Amino acid sequence: MDESKYTEIAGELIQKAQKSGAEQSEVYLTASEELTIEVRDQEVETMKKANEFGVGLRVIKDQKIGFAFTSEVKPVSLENLVREAVANSDKTSVDKYNIIPEPSEDYPSVDIFDPELEYIPIERKIELAKEIERHGKAYDKRVKITESCTYQDSKYVIVVVNSQGIETAYKGTFAGGYSYFVAEENGDQQTGFGLQFSTKIDDLNPKDIGIEGAQKAVSMLGAKNIKSQKASIVLDPYVMTNFFSVIAPALTADSVQKDKSIFKGRVGQKVASDLVTIVDDGRMSGGIFSAPFDGEGVATSETVLIKDGILQGFLYNTYTAAKDGVKSTGNSVRLSSYRGTPEVGTTNFYLKGGQHSRDKLVSEVKKGLYVTEVMGMHTANPISGDFSIGVAGIWIENGEFSHPVRGAVIAGNILELLSGIDFVADDLRFFAGKGAPTVRVSEITISGD
Amino acid sequence: MSGLLDPRDAEKILSTALKNGGDFADIFIEKKKGTGITCEADKIERVFSGLDVGAGIRVIYDGRTAYAFTNDVTFEGLMKVAEEISKVIQGNNVSIILNMQQKEPPYSFEIKEAPDKVSVDEKVGIVDRANKAARSYDNRIKQVIVGYGDAVQEITVANSEGTYINGERIRTRLIVNVVASDGKHIQTGFESAGGFSGFELFKTVSPVELARKAAARAVLMLEAKPAPAGQMTVVMAGEAGGTMIHEACGHGLEADLVQKKLSVYAGKMGEKVAAETVTVIDDATIPNLYGSFPFDDEGMEGQKTVLIENGVLKSYMYDWLTASREKRKSTGNGRRESYQYKPIPRMTNTYIAPGKYDPQEIIEQTDKGLYVKKMGGGQVNTTTGDFVFEVSEGYLIEKGKVTVPVRGATLTGNGPQVLQTIDMVGNDLGWAIGTCGKDGQGVPVGDAQPTIRIPKLVVGGILE
Repeated sequence: MDESKYTEIAGELIQKAQKSGAEQSEVYLTASEELTIEVRDQEVETMKKANEFGVGLRVIKDQKIGFAFTSEVKPVSLENLVREAVANSDKTSVDKYNIIPEPSEDYPSVDIFDPELEYIPIERKIELAKEIERHGKAYDKRVKITESCTYQDSKYVIVVVNSQGIETAYKGTFAGGYSYFVAEENGDQQTGFGLQFSTKIDDLNPKDIGIEGAQKAVSMLGAKNIKSQKASIVLDPYVMTNFFSVIAPALTADSVQKDKSIFKGRVGQKVASDLVTIVDDGRMSGGIFSAPFDGEGVATSETVLIKDGILQGFLYNTYTAAKDGVKSTGNSVRLSSYRGTPEVGTTNFYLKGGQHSRDKLVSEVKKGLYVTEVMGMHTANPISGDFSIGVAGIWIENGEFSHPVRGAVIAGNILELLSGIDFVADDLRFFAGKGAPTVRVSEITISGD
Repeated sequence: MSGLLDPRDAEKILSTALKNGGDFADIFIEKKKGTGITCEADKIERVFSGLDVGAGIRVIYDGRTAYAFTNDVTFEGLMKVAEEISKVIQGNNVSIILNMQQKEPPYSFEIKEAPDKVSVDEKVGIVDRANKAARSYDNRIKQVIVGYGDAVQEITVANSEGTYINGERIRTRLIVNVVASDGKHIQTGFESAGGFSGFELFKTVSPVELARKAAARAVLMLEAKPAPAGQMTVVMAGEAGGTMIHEACGHGLEADLVQKKLSVYAGKMGEKVAAETVTVIDDATIPNLYGSFPFDDEGMEGQKTVLIENGVLKSYMYDWLTASREKRKSTGNGRRESYQYKPIPRMTNTYIAPGKYDPQEIIEQTDKGLYVKKMGGGQVNTTTGDFVFEVSEGYLIEKGKVTVPVRGATLTGNGPQVLQTIDMVGNDLGWAIGTCGKDGQGVPVGDAQPTIRIPKLVVGGILE
């Protein structure tokens, strides 16, 4: 992967686009190499190697924007790319806020590239996946089936070149491991998973990944339904990060400007419990989604969105920032890589940890559900904030874990949930780009039999 | 149809991939061209076109899979990948003699207006009409998002058993998402339509009707009261779509999950797994449905497979690998999102076959319960069979009549248990389209069901 070659290709495309009538143009180019190793019963079940390359071109003409992408570098495909992007721009609506950004004043330096990764022999990576499985299986006899134990890594280059003077690139890496186990007892089967991601392979701990999946599966054995009632819920860090799929979209300027955010018009107001502070940090040390610049080549930043329950502001890309007359927060995200236009999105997004331990949090619960698994979170509505999702976990009675629960549903609105948080533990943990500690919500409807 | 790869070149590439051993190899080459248009905030925000070209090569050895993909589909590029993949296999030298025979498709679907021959203006026109129709429906409509998408996917699949096929899949779809607010509540309404079809889709699907339907639901749900919580009888309308059968049953019948014993249906072949009134079918051959195709992504002909017949488990859904483990033939369910993924067993168009009851009669015979007119998305844990899915349009049933609308309901239960308890099956059948996700791969599917009644299901709602 040769950054200078890619920058050259991108530069030539910009020249072609400008010659073809574009007033402003921008190339986003990415190349990556990925490796995935799936192990089951100490044998490699699937080994996958991927080489991906693609380029997306955005052009502006008469304040109208057009986009096209290709994964083929043949000259004829690149000619078509330019022609189609320019032609597409003719069909979209005029909007004076359509602009391609100029270079930022300074870019952060982030440590996201592990130079060792590509020199580590594949045998060691296979061994890592096998180790995950061994630790999980050894944790408890009842861990009977491995769905899969996986090692995965990626090395990538991202290049942004535009007609406004941006010509920049960076390299990054990440490595991760997963475990998916099934525990069995008395004909009952329960599943559990563990995962870890880091920019550096040495940060991975196969023992933790394996044990986490095994422990989750075993702890759910013998799970029973419960009666419908109002009770406290405790959300483990992973479950809390799942709720970000409802919270994060509402914190983007795009949603606010389009009347799709429950936070619209509420900056400076209380939107959550005092214990809630939510941050997006595109330049966070060790963050999987840390980068010097965003999907439009704008410098990333740290943005506090909710501080002690008070809404501070929103995430911006260049377009939404222009519309609100503010500066982009560097949150232009290419959700579909080179295949899509830059949208407003999150980088490393987290709920800040509190002062006290998880044990203290649990010990104070009179009656409630410690939720370790959610189902159907994608059905929650990020526009209205309403959610109604399947949950499973461990019942807490008088401050102690009593028995596993399945087949329950919790329903409510995300604003109520955020306001109802009465404890935030100190165990902040990241799952790729999202992080949260264990949190407790004072009361919610739990639907059961 | 000319292919993306010469059969003789395919032989050389697969021979190279297999030079260090292996039981099977295949190559999947794809060239996909598409257009997308989105309208939001009363503006045509995006018009884009894309070209995705790539190839995936797979070698199976001792039941294990080595897979690699590349965007460089030149002969040299593919040979490089084949070389790379052969290094993963440390087996004995086997010489497989390859002789590609081109298979003709078992059937073809008529495409009247290929989307790449239709002007962008006409496509924008469809989006405009839907947008205007939704916006003018009611003054409580605050936002309308309309998305149009089409794709022409050419594929060539060749494998070491001599199969060589060329295929073309053309899909078109339109989605409308409407946001309504009365100042106090926000509700949304979603509708979609699509098929293995060209632009003629809009001869049968009216963008205006689709938009009005989505708008009507968003407004209706503003007036709805919160859904009740607890266990109750649920009647699902035929037009609700088949999300439940897809989630609660379909996934558990995919052979990869069954073989790993990750399915509640493992080891139950020939056993009664559902009520006698229940017959479940997966059918890729129905003309022009969203999940239909003449060949699957491994070059196998599309098929109609009866999965459950009158309550008895008859078949799982297989791809090449899972079928070979049982020394049988694939059921033509080997699918992949793109060249970037290995094929796995997936559903196509899955449905519960219609029964004998008039849908109205089913409602009349229900004293108290929840009537589901439209379902949303869902999820299943195939190991336990536990599922959850959302109700996007629901009503209370009181004394045999559908009464007031309720919002925010979620249904949760256990797939096998629910199938055992279905006590009434209607004589109607309603289809819905979706993108099904599994192992990180999304594929287009159709699902359907007649009106059905489930005596007891947990409804997630709000306790008063």
